[in-house]
Amino acid sequence: MADGRQLDLQLQLLDRQVVDAGGRLVCKVDDLELTATDDGRLLVTAILIGPRALGPRIGGRLGRWMAGIAQRLSTPDRQLPPRIDFGQVTDIGTAIAIARRRSEVDVAPLDDWVDEHLIGRIPGAGHAS
Amino acid sequence: MKRLLAVALGVLTAIGGFVDIGDLVTNALVGSRYGLSLAWATLIGLVGICVFAEMSGRVAAVTGRATFDLVRERLGPRAGLANLVASFLVTGLTFVAEIGGVALSLELVTSVYYLLWVPLVALAVWLVIWRVRFSVLENVFGLLGLALIVFGVALWQLHPSWTGLLHQVAVPHKPDGEGTPTYLYYAIALFGAAMTPYEVFFFSSGGVEERWTRKDIITSRINVFIGFPLGAALSLAIAAVSALVLLPVGVNVDTLGQVGLPVAVAAGKIALAVAILGFVAATFGAALETGLSAGYTVAQYFGWQWGKYVRPREAARYHAVVLLSVLAAVAVLLTTVDPVKVTEYSVVFSAVALPLTYFPILVVANDPDYMGDSANGRVTNALATGMLVVIVVASVAAIPLMIATKAGQ
Repeated sequence: MADGRQLDLQLQLLDRQVVDAGGRLVCKVDDLELTATDDGRLLVTAILIGPRALGPRIGGRLGRWMAGIAQRLSTPDRQLPPRIDFGQVTDIGTAIAIARRRSEVDVAPLDDWVDEHLIGRIPGAGHAS
Repeated sequence: MKRLLAVALGVLTAIGGFVDIGDLVTNALVGSRYGLSLAWATLIGLVGICVFAEMSGRVAAVTGRATFDLVRERLGPRAGLANLVASFLVTGLTFVAEIGGVALSLELVTSVYYLLWVPLVALAVWLVIWRVRFSVLENVFGLLGLALIVFGVALWQLHPSWTGLLHQVAVPHKPDGEGTPTYLYYAIALFGAAMTPYEVFFFSSGGVEERWTRKDIITSRINVFIGFPLGAALSLAIAAVSALVLLPVGVNVDTLGQVGLPVAVAAGKIALAVAILGFVAATFGAALETGLSAGYTVAQYFGWQWGKYVRPREAARYHAVVLLSVLAAVAVLLTTVDPVKVTEYSVVFSAVALPLTYFPILVVANDPDYMGDSANGRVTNALATGMLVVIVVASVAAIPLMIATKAGQ
């Protein structure tokens, strides 16, 4: 992504749609992970996803509830919000394109749960109409 | 040929979207009480929906982003969430009204009480959303909805004084004995019926589902500028026959049967049958659009995969929202709430919620960074900004007027 373009993170990155290599919709940029380098600069290192990333940005009691409920529902191996490494990003436009497939990034445990317990059980769920 | 077929999307959103339960009830109700003296409100609504849908269609074609995608992007997560809640509730209310409308139409045909039809209608709506291809559902209900042209035939059969009708439209005049607040309240209702937010959610999301590109902007414009005026003409025909038949005998419309009554009087039994077919098609088509739109708003806010172009398993959360919306709509209707009353409120709340989605789309359509050389031109911009003022005024005035007039009594 070293194309020398200046980006306004708030306007051009946050809350944009993330699209996978096959054009499928993955998630929103719910929050960004910034990492400080030794010389004090901040680097965008990951896209953070899900209610635990979004809740604090919504703020207030509702935001705390969102993040809190998601934290309680998360499994022990998922103590941090799902993330996509920023190195995967291939394009920043009206959507943020990533190099991987949606199934490979595994960022939506709720989607898997709903698929497994509800939608996947209804006849015809496996065929596009 | 492909282009010709694509115009069917416009016909569907014109008939199933412009004329849905809200337009049927509101136009007949207002026609029976005010004649055509409020036609100006429908015409302003027509200009508004054309401007709004054209911008949304253009944004969808250029960027591949549907309306609610942009709402969150432009308003941020917090204001976007408030917007989502409001838009979802209004769309849900309209969804309830449409399902109730299909059930009431079926009661007219079968004399089987509408509440018995409600679960079956809801099941049918869900099955169509679940299994039927997007292009099929839009064409089938778009074409069947054309049955409502029978209201135009009925108007012709009544041999009205055309100059008299035109005069009523051209020179708005509040009938004697009616209060100004009530008159304005119904103006907002007609405006909201013409310019329901879900129409734009559906139109822009449909464009994304059909993978519109810049080349399709022209198709989208044909859809909007031919389809919507056609829908508005049907709306006015409904108001006109109601004004000619029901107004003189002092019938105030509060059932769906009364909406069809002037057609029976003017053109007979067969015409009534065609009108009821039109009711079923228009309300069923609109039920599909609102059901899909309920899912679109939530999925687009959270960035979930949505749409009928993927397998339901790939859009599991989206389909779950649609399914839960259907169940919720059935639950609401089974409280025995009157669907016609729900409709009357839904059109007014549509007017209240409009600025929430109109404003972000106006901003994006004006953004050259985003839209390149397809950004709003000067004329479009002047028109769209003028419309914003009208929309905000209607939105702010709606609830005080509702309270002051006891919802139009």
